[in-house]
Amino acid sequence: MSFLDIFMGILAGIDVTIKVTLLGMLYAVPFAFAFGIAQHFARGPMRMMVTTIIEFWRSSPIIVLIYGFYFSLPGLGVHLSAITVGSMVLGLNIGGYGSQAVRAALQALDKGQVEAGYALGLRRLPILWLIELPQALAAMTPTFINQFIQLVKGTSLVSLVTLADMTFVAKAISQINYAPAKIYTALLIAYFLMCYPATILGRMIEQRVSRGRGASHEF
Amino acid sequence: MSFDIDFAIAILPRILSTFGTTLWITVVGCLGAALLGFLWETVRRSTGIGRYAMRFVIDFIRSTPLLVQIYFFYFVLPEYGITLPALMVGVIALSLYYSGYLAEVFKAGIDSIPGGQFEAAKALGLSRVQLVVLVIAPQMLRNIAAPMGNYFVSLLKSTPYLAIIAVPEMLSIALEVASDTFRYTEPMVVVGAVFLSLALCFSGMVKMIETRLRLSPRAG
Repeated sequence: MSFLDIFMGILAGIDVTIKVTLLGMLYAVPFAFAFGIAQHFARGPMRMMVTTIIEFWRSSPIIVLIYGFYFSLPGLGVHLSAITVGSMVLGLNIGGYGSQAVRAALQALDKGQVEAGYALGLRRLPILWLIELPQALAAMTPTFINQFIQLVKGTSLVSLVTLADMTFVAKAISQINYAPAKIYTALLIAYFLMCYPATILGRMIEQRVSRGRGASHEF
Repeated sequence: MSFDIDFAIAILPRILSTFGTTLWITVVGCLGAALLGFLWETVRRSTGIGRYAMRFVIDFIRSTPLLVQIYFFYFVLPEYGITLPALMVGVIALSLYYSGYLAEVFKAGIDSIPGGQFEAAKALGLSRVQLVVLVIAPQMLRNIAAPMGNYFVSLLKSTPYLAIIAVPEMLSIALEVASDTFRYTEPMVVVGAVFLSLALCFSGMVKMIETRLRLSPRAG
């Protein structure tokens, strides 16, 4: 098989990779906002509970979470498909990281913003919705883009729970036609092509956010 | 089948028997990642043509999955006659993967050093090596202790990836127990709990260092 054949063969798995990414985002984005905002507002035992849930998803190794949920849920009487488990675990893991970006961005805002909202006669919720979140969104965008890249790369883990994504297809090809150098180079390039545009976009936005902090120094 | 606490306690020693391996991988991986990352960032700041190549290499490392990089080294290196033990392959892959991220951290750390420091070093006639080792590195390390520590915690959490290339560490022992006994819940919960506590301990330490540096009057 030529390099191009292998590359095209690997692309047969791109639909699963994209599907898991999109489903993962369906978990990650709501989780990040709900728990980031909750952690920002909650006090006392409520805050501890929110933090515990976030830390569980954020601080456990993702590969252990995927194996753990995939293998032990059936034993506990919960039967979910591999794609549901994979995208849920990946999404909530990334969402845990995202929630910290949401919370940090809300906390970094000037207090005067909320006070001005109160002075204008707004209630707490409209202040959050109309004043705090729109401003915080700019600050969290670079982190969100980085987390999106982590999610795309993380989808390679679903190959371990038998989903036929790009990594799984590459391994299948290597079983028929043992040419690891070609196959894994093609696989690296396939992921690189998916993630590189987001890497570039993230860097551009980061530079815009941190503009005016002085020129870079050469050694 | 429900959760059997006695079974979970019974398998704990077996899983913890490779605790040392996990710590060893983490420490060596962190050292390797930091050294490589600093080297990449130094090359990226050089004036030669190497900077463009380095920029691309760092982006490439950061834009491809760790799992695939591990497979790549594990399966491709023997093709070229380099046969290393799986543990070494894993440590190399982890170091390389995180070196890409640490290069970015070092970049931010160096960018936050005031320009006067570079000019002062030049005025004092320091060589480039002296500039990097004596002036830049100490100030940079203080600026980046927190983000660097967070990547070290991430590296710790990535050590179970080595289970897929059959390195005997905690996850692979747990999977072994599971396939011996057909009970998955307990080994997975045990190994998850061990990693979670370890990661929380480490990130607690990072937070402490961060607070101490912030309290210090020279920080900033």
